[in-house]
Amino acid sequence: MLKYYPRLDEQLYKTVLPNGLTVMVCPRPGFTKNLAYFVTDFGAIHTKFTLDGVEYTAPDGVAHYLEHKLFDMPGRDVSAEFAALGANTNAFTSYDITAYYFSCTENFESCLRLLLEFVSTPYFTRETVEKEQGIIAQEIDMTADSPDTAVFEGLMDNMYRVHPVSIPILGFHHTIREITPEILHTCHRAFYRPGNMVLCVVGDVKPEDICRIASEVLPREDNAQVQLQRSWPEEMTVPQEKSQRTMEVAMPMFQLGFKAEPRERGEEAIREEILADLAAEALFGESSGLYLRLYDQGLIDSSFGGGFETIEGMAMLTCSGDSYEPEAVRDAILEEARRIVKEGIDQAQFDRMRRSALGRRTKGLDSFDSTCFRLCAYHLSGFDYFDFPRLYEDLEVSQLQAFLERVVTPQRCSICVIRPTENS
Amino acid sequence: MIQTVTVSPGVTLRLFHDTRFKQGCLSIQLVRPMCRQEAAKNALLSAVLLRGCQAYPDLQTITWRLDELYGASVGTLVRRVGDYQTTGLYCSFLEDRFALPGDQILEPTARLLKELLLRPKLENGVFKADFVESEKRNLVLAIEAQRNDKRAWCSAQLFSHMCREDSFGVPRLGEIEDVKAITPQSLYDHYRRILKESRMEIFYVGSADAGLVTRLCRELVEKERGYVSLPGQTAFTSAQGGAWEETMDIAQGKLSMGFVTPANIRQGKAFVATQMMNLIFGGGMTSKLFTQVREKLSLCYAISSGYHGSKGILTVSAGMDWEKKDTVRSQVLAQLEAICQGDITEAELAAARQAMLSSLRATHDSAGSIENYYATAALSGLPYSPAEYMQQVQQITAADVAEAARQVKLHSEYFLKGETGC
Repeated sequence: MLKYYPRLDEQLYKTVLPNGLTVMVCPRPGFTKNLAYFVTDFGAIHTKFTLDGVEYTAPDGVAHYLEHKLFDMPGRDVSAEFAALGANTNAFTSYDITAYYFSCTENFESCLRLLLEFVSTPYFTRETVEKEQGIIAQEIDMTADSPDTAVFEGLMDNMYRVHPVSIPILGFHHTIREITPEILHTCHRAFYRPGNMVLCVVGDVKPEDICRIASEVLPREDNAQVQLQRSWPEEMTVPQEKSQRTMEVAMPMFQLGFKAEPRERGEEAIREEILADLAAEALFGESSGLYLRLYDQGLIDSSFGGGFETIEGMAMLTCSGDSYEPEAVRDAILEEARRIVKEGIDQAQFDRMRRSALGRRTKGLDSFDSTCFRLCAYHLSGFDYFDFPRLYEDLEVSQLQAFLERVVTPQRCSICVIRPTENS
Repeated sequence: MIQTVTVSPGVTLRLFHDTRFKQGCLSIQLVRPMCRQEAAKNALLSAVLLRGCQAYPDLQTITWRLDELYGASVGTLVRRVGDYQTTGLYCSFLEDRFALPGDQILEPTARLLKELLLRPKLENGVFKADFVESEKRNLVLAIEAQRNDKRAWCSAQLFSHMCREDSFGVPRLGEIEDVKAITPQSLYDHYRRILKESRMEIFYVGSADAGLVTRLCRELVEKERGYVSLPGQTAFTSAQGGAWEETMDIAQGKLSMGFVTPANIRQGKAFVATQMMNLIFGGGMTSKLFTQVREKLSLCYAISSGYHGSKGILTVSAGMDWEKKDTVRSQVLAQLEAICQGDITEAELAAARQAMLSSLRATHDSAGSIENYYATAALSGLPYSPAEYMQQVQQITAADVAEAARQVKLHSEYFLKGETGC
């Protein structure tokens, strides 16, 4: 069960416990830091589900709200307990998962028990749930002033009419007011079952210890029946090709998106994702002719970047940055895609890009956080992350062209622009 | 563990041998005084160097080369370390053992660095005009874009007001008008001068043999140098404090408060006690600011404090409904006063101690954090290795923390508020 990956000089232990929990351990002998992620396959987009035969539609923002409230335990202060153990703890909610994690250099076993315990212990009172509204309302206001978030949310609103990615992860002031202890309990029961979760540890630890502790702390059975909406029928054309608004920004900024077919699960899907990444690189990456030309013309600057992004049920090629002429950048990208589709790219360039992408991914394994996160995210997508070197082998230029031909078209394209307010 | 080689007067190579990582790193820093006359040029220089050299004359050929080197990356390195500003390059690359059989990464990467640093693309004997102009534009935009992050903006404004008589008041990337005044000639003259005169710090982390790395790094140094040493680090030079306000079209108000203390990084125990005091005050999820002002009173989402040890400046940064600014402000002062009065629980003290120990222990867990710790410590005057540092941390008592808090005095404030009537 401990597998060695010679091309990366990494090991991974993977198992499923009798209660359904997936455990992954990446041993890192000789390092002092240990990092553990406890992840549920439940994020901001998962508001429609059936639990034990009853249908539910939860208020927008519930996954994030639940993440905040899980840190409450009766008569205990979870953060203080982690701190006393010398550990850092935190959590985040994305569109499709929620992750709780800690890192420590000592007391690993106590920290792991605490993580598993607090995430699996729902404790919500009317008073504490109401009090959280003030904090999350401030978080919503803070995010409202962030142009990066505004441009992304504006773009999603342009591009998606059905998929819930157009709804902010935090929800809205009026939806978080609807959240009650009962709703949080229901979501916890549906999605924080061991069978819906992954525990992943990177560090100088023994896999059998992790499994033993997880078996001791977590519930032994997982008998909830849950069905979850995981796909949303979307047209591939965008409903709105452009939107703009003003904010306190220094210069205009934009984000551009091209709608792509939602990614499936499994190795073939991940290979397509890697191909799409290379296509983005060939189209507007730093080594592309287009990047150099736009940079020289002053149409983009070093803030420009992009790639292929996937969220459950949706995928897109996207790029963003600051520019005084965002529409000119969009038009140049569309034109360059047509050129690549027609003329292709030379094999040497393709090989260089591939080698570079593989090298950068391998370097990234030095980061405990990125490794732990990717092990979890790729596992939930049905792929063993450490197998990535293999996926780079049999990619072809023609596949890249086919991807660009299908995706980078005016019908699939939308742009959101944030312009400075008059006094900024 | 760390090996230090004096390459020539003023040029130090530090080698940290480690075989655990997938990537190695090599950084080169030219050390300059942080001052208005140079800040913009130093910030601009490394960006211009990365635009092209004689061997790789444009962005595309450089990127192609980096792609061939298995996705190696070279970036600008512009740091503020107390009264110093460093300008240079930071490079990270895959360890040779992950390359295809027969391929090398370290050696060709070091050669590429040499080309970028010492043989820039020239035109009429100076930097190429369009490289300079487009990087000037980028830098101006980067400076202007600081306004986009309201919390960082508020804090930067606090520094520029509070520290107007100190090098800390000079913005790290320079002032816009200074950037605009730079010419290819003036930047090139500056480059030639600082290449010869500056203290130079080269740092390597990775698995390669020290002899090989030393040989490669000697190549990164100009042959004929005339080293001019820098004055030492100084304590904060204070100007008259005050409270400033700015109005923006925003949903949430931001408050930055600046405090001063005589305790700085060069002072051993008082410095470490102040660091622990900062953690107890506003350094994380168990701090007084977080637990009282956020969790108990629900006044803020983000509230924290930071300690700038090289100058002895402590700041508090908070985002709140702007009508509640005075409440937040008085709560911040009340929490500080509580620490002065010795209201520090065993748990708070232990948490701060553990947090510091954990972070010091983990220093050696990545090439980047190793480089950051040692390359910065060498300049700031921090007198400890991580192990010595940890010993100091073990000895700090609650009384030391309260004493450190009593040295902290409010100096200035900056408040960013929404437009009236919103």
